[in-house]
Amino acid sequence: MSPRSLFFAASVFGLMALQTPVQADVDPEALVEPVAEYKLYVLDNIDQFVSHTEKFTQAIEAGDLERAQALYAPTRVYYERIEPIAELFADLDASIDAREDDYENGVEDPDFTGFHRLEYGLFKEQITQGFVPYAKRLMTDVNDLESRVQGLTFPPAKVVGGAAALMEEVAATKVSGEEDRYSHTDLWDFQGNVDGSQKIFELFKPLVAEEDPAFVDRVEKNFAEVEDTLAHYRHETDNPEAGFVSYEKVSQTDRRAFVGPVTVLAEDLATLRGKLGL
Amino acid sequence: MSDQSDNTSRCPFTLDRRRFLQGLGAAGAAAGLGGSAWAESHTDAASAHDVTGAPVSTTTQQSHPFHGRHQQGVLTPRPATGMVVVCDVLARDRTGLERLLRTLTERIAFLTRGGSYPKRDPSYPPADSGILGPTIAPDALTVTVSLGASLFDERFDLADAKPKHLQRMTGFPNDALEPARCHGDLSLQICANTHDTTIHALRDIIKHTPGLLMVRWKQEGTVPVVPPGHDTPAPSARNYLGFRDGTANPDTDDETLMNALVWTGADPDEPDWAHGGSYQVVRIIRNFVERWDRAQLAEQEAIFGRRKDSGAPLSGGSEYDEPDYANDADGKITPLDAHIRLANPRTPGFEKHRILRRPFNYSNGVEANGQLDMGLLFIVYQADLEAGFITVQNHLNGEPLEEYIKPVGGGYFFTLPGAIDEHDFLGRSLMEATDV
Repeated sequence: MSPRSLFFAASVFGLMALQTPVQADVDPEALVEPVAEYKLYVLDNIDQFVSHTEKFTQAIEAGDLERAQALYAPTRVYYERIEPIAELFADLDASIDAREDDYENGVEDPDFTGFHRLEYGLFKEQITQGFVPYAKRLMTDVNDLESRVQGLTFPPAKVVGGAAALMEEVAATKVSGEEDRYSHTDLWDFQGNVDGSQKIFELFKPLVAEEDPAFVDRVEKNFAEVEDTLAHYRHETDNPEAGFVSYEKVSQTDRRAFVGPVTVLAEDLATLRGKLGL
Repeated sequence: MSDQSDNTSRCPFTLDRRRFLQGLGAAGAAAGLGGSAWAESHTDAASAHDVTGAPVSTTTQQSHPFHGRHQQGVLTPRPATGMVVVCDVLARDRTGLERLLRTLTERIAFLTRGGSYPKRDPSYPPADSGILGPTIAPDALTVTVSLGASLFDERFDLADAKPKHLQRMTGFPNDALEPARCHGDLSLQICANTHDTTIHALRDIIKHTPGLLMVRWKQEGTVPVVPPGHDTPAPSARNYLGFRDGTANPDTDDETLMNALVWTGADPDEPDWAHGGSYQVVRIIRNFVERWDRAQLAEQEAIFGRRKDSGAPLSGGSEYDEPDYANDADGKITPLDAHIRLANPRTPGFEKHRILRRPFNYSNGVEANGQLDMGLLFIVYQADLEAGFITVQNHLNGEPLEEYIKPVGGGYFFTLPGAIDEHDFLGRSLMEATDV
């Protein structure tokens, strides 16, 4: 070996030491309980989602603009929490949660339905007239989602992968404020995604904590950092129900401050499947 | 792996552009494996594999040693592709900033040398994007790290160590700066023989710096390649206005000249840590090419002060001959407001204002009016930002060329001194100078 190849080998070794994560030896049986618990979490959230959607769509049908606007964000939170599972039903995800950018003709597109179609009416046009058919369709879709999720066997890889998928959602569309561009209620969705991701992490944490405590520390620290920044923008610091200020009020500095911990969470949680041998 | 490292012999580069280009010519003429593969693809065009077979390059093993007193990418011969990626630093404190600088150093040292990534269990994300395959060739890659004035704010206690002339770029009269394509804490100039090598390097760096860096804007560019030639010195590459660009660059082989014009250090008012660095100016200069292509050739040549085909000054000779202004005081041959005459009037005392140009051409897309969005990714280096670019640009303000160009973005940065060896890291002198 020439001196150069020696140097080369040494540097690759250094890289490996830095990059190769600890492989936890996880018994597949150990996954059963957290997956079952996660299903309970999802069913509980979808139950809430259905009842909130009922109130939201009834407000539109009653022509109560103010009430419909107020219920928009608190209703969506339940969907945002369970998105990794909800997204398994691509047809419903499109009709419930697609954004106008998903259609070539934007808001004019006849296929554009769901929350963001209603958001456009309630917050941009500030009307409820003409939106009753969209409200009825949303209620039908949400009920359909509930029955499909109830009958679903939760694939462990999808459940565990959901922790990272939710942070990818935040990184891709929440930090930029694209998600709720008319209502500016992005922070509600943001919190929903973070809640959902954190729930999955908490459920599976015991299976990786012993093998890789540094990983667990880092993830918890970054979740805490995101939560702290989110808390600055709550209407009432100690009351999550009171919700968040408009995303327009979030400073550029704080929008950037989200990017750091969110990106590290996305990178770290992307290794969770590997750590669990999934 | 030993095969790889044996093949990764460094080309015996000097910093001589002309010899470098001759070397390329010789490599092309020798046409080893790459040359014959290329020939085969032409004689056997019916082979199914030719449609999607990878194009062959004979220059993938070229490498520029990373370690040294100065960073690569300044005097280094400019390859065919380059990009500037400007980031904001997300690190919260000096510890995070040092981790960022050390990580950048480690990644750049690896990427510019080439090699393999560790294999991972397939249930993990792979260690590398894989776009260059399992073994990375250096492909003449350079990554040059520079810092913007905003990094010297209160976040990292660097304020007292700011290079004397480093400042936020302010608009010149013809500028129409777009905030989304201006300024930033840290610039990465990434250059290589092929575009994919620069993209690979960028993705590697992003992958390794989560929570530390956030890309703010990016501009990619290219330089037109030419067949191997015997002209010495080699002619300068052309910009998207069709003119040779960089003809009047100072001689990069002249170390004394480089220490005076490019590398910061001669000025006693500059902080010690900055010695061996350089001021980097980046400007995204849109060219109105449709309109330019409708301008008469005589007007185009008068605007630049050079012949379009040869690059020779209007006063005669060939590209590298000095323009004669002494016998043309009223600008009958070379107009007084010609670009090259304003930028460098060749008057006594003007030498100190010379800058080292290292630009790329860019092409982005289409404007709403159907006109092409393309132009010059202007990059220059100088020892003194005020005496260099700012003075030269102030001479150019109002030049006739402005009708055809519009600077829309960019920023001023300070290129860090080099990392001397494996124990050093980019920015070490700055961190030590500000350690309390």
